[in-house]
Amino acid sequence: MLSRYVFRHETILALLLVLALALSANLSDRFFTVDNLLNQGRMLTEVGIIAIAMTFVIITGGIDLSVGSVLGLSAITLGVVWKTLGVPLPLAMVVAVLVGALCGAVNGLIIVKSRMPPMIATLGTLALYRGLAEGISQARSVRGYPDWFYVLGQGEVLGVPTQLWIFGALAIVAAVILGYQTFGRVTYAIGANETAARFSGLAVDRSKILIYTASGAMAALAAVTFVSRVSTTRSDMGMGIEMDAISAVVLGGTSIFGGRGTMIGTLLGILLIQTMKNGLTLAGVKGDGTIIVIGSILILTILISNIANRVRD
Amino acid sequence: MKTLLSIAAGLALMAGTAHAEDVWTGGDSQPTSPLACDGAAPAVTAVPYNGAAVKGAADLKGKPISIVDVPKLIGIGYFNATAKGVAEGAKDLGSVTAKTDGPTKANIDDQITLIDNYITSGVNGIVFAANDPEAIAPVLKKALSKGIHVVGYDSDATPDAREWFVNQASFNGVAKALMDNLASQIGEDGSFAIVTSTFTTPVQARWIAEMTAYTAKCHPKMQWLETVEAQEDNILSFNQANTLMNKYGDKLKGIIGMTSVATPAAAEAVKQTNQCGKIAVTGLALPNSMKPYVNSGCVNGVVLWSPADLGYAAVQVMRAAIDGTLKPGDTSVKAGKLGELKIVNGSVVLLGDPVTFTKANINNFDF
Repeated sequence: MLSRYVFRHETILALLLVLALALSANLSDRFFTVDNLLNQGRMLTEVGIIAIAMTFVIITGGIDLSVGSVLGLSAITLGVVWKTLGVPLPLAMVVAVLVGALCGAVNGLIIVKSRMPPMIATLGTLALYRGLAEGISQARSVRGYPDWFYVLGQGEVLGVPTQLWIFGALAIVAAVILGYQTFGRVTYAIGANETAARFSGLAVDRSKILIYTASGAMAALAAVTFVSRVSTTRSDMGMGIEMDAISAVVLGGTSIFGGRGTMIGTLLGILLIQTMKNGLTLAGVKGDGTIIVIGSILILTILISNIANRVRD
Repeated sequence: MKTLLSIAAGLALMAGTAHAEDVWTGGDSQPTSPLACDGAAPAVTAVPYNGAAVKGAADLKGKPISIVDVPKLIGIGYFNATAKGVAEGAKDLGSVTAKTDGPTKANIDDQITLIDNYITSGVNGIVFAANDPEAIAPVLKKALSKGIHVVGYDSDATPDAREWFVNQASFNGVAKALMDNLASQIGEDGSFAIVTSTFTTPVQARWIAEMTAYTAKCHPKMQWLETVEAQEDNILSFNQANTLMNKYGDKLKGIIGMTSVATPAAAEAVKQTNQCGKIAVTGLALPNSMKPYVNSGCVNGVVLWSPADLGYAAVQVMRAAIDGTLKPGDTSVKAGKLGELKIVNGSVVLLGDPVTFTKANINNFDF
């Protein structure tokens, strides 16, 4: 009975995280400070927000490679709608999120209606959305946002970075939906056996479109906090962020074949990667060394988890 | 579905019409100051100090300091050379521990995260080459507010986010050197294209703006066909050069590479299609990467400064700023083996004039 918990992927991950935290604190006395930890929280938000939605996508057995481009397109939309079209900034933020949701919905429609594999469909829109972003922006960056806007990405609420509150709230809502709501059950069912889910009368297509739409909207939300954090808008924003998000999700134990995964796992995955990045830099390891370690951790963790699985069975 | 399609079509149209303006050169929109066609020295106007001030820095005059050098990216020849210069500058000073660490791709977010981590780790100074002048500003301001000195080189941030910036060569000087070099090869009515990094990379955008102004003033009949982006990627630059040759055919007489990666890639593309002599290649490039093309006569000459000197100067300026020997209002600064460097535009330290590398002198340089 006990072994069921000990050999769970999340338990192994949590142990690794504790180990990484202890090691980092040991290597540098500047790691375990409130300042540094909150700052790390600020920096993991964008990847985190995207990874939340990506967890749903991957549990259905799909993948969304276009999120980085959606982030770029939404960021450009925010800048252009506000600066060039003169729309008030709060409204422009809403438009940006809607554009992201629209991008996601297009992904979902292509995947559902044409039965195209998600990897191909989103690989296509990865290029398409980035191209639109670059075309619309004309390679000019949009700058000079009002001060209140920076509160979102650079400010604090009750001593905690603003975007960390947003991330936390989203993570809790997503965890509840995935773990305790019918929609979550349907998500797992689609990933475990799509045909069976269909014959059980579940709204497979509608759920998938919703999930990809949410993925786009979350990428757009990440875009808004990202623009606020770096105080400028560029069309190349978010390039490659899909890989960071996918890494965190699979490190968190979500099966790339679908049907298995938890929100807690994804959160642990994100925290572990960020801890390693930060801890190693503070310990004096250079950037190239850090990514080698992170790649190895990813492979090793999945390997250990697979072995533990066999032992458990 | 129909509405979706029409929205997508609308977006595509927006992108399309925006492209239909006259030739997009890729320059920025700041004012330009082209040099005289005959190279007469421009009049110098004094500008008050416009850099930032560091808050609550400890007095480290003459004491050992540790600094970090954060280039745009690591793993390319150019920034390897600046890193060597940084190390050499630190060694000459004796009291400076310098370390170079940068993102593996020229990515704004990775660079910001890296700098943020070094602020936490408690360095005394940060020297940087920015991937985006605006995006890097908040994290540099954070460094300044924590008593960390900040000096830029190669690619600047907004002036209020750093104390000093070491400029490799004046923008209009580079523009003149490149355009004169090209005009001497393809004639006053030749057509040419540009391969740059990205349109938003501040330093390239500035050069291109100056080149546009200088071309209009001194080579008015030359035709600017197109500017294409190739990041700072070898394969992409090679492909872009090939695309330009296929697209314009005989009309294309010259290619200018705006990055140390694009120029050799363009030269290789011209060589592989046997168009040496038919299409002139020039641009900014490291001598070592251009030796085969220059020595074989495929490329006439390329322009650059010494990136090692640039890194060297950045460390020297950092030490002077920390020691207080370089203060707002100064008109020059002592930089070790480089001697006195001029300060222009309020807070910009000028490294010197660009060098043109030709068959006659390229073998004397090794970087």
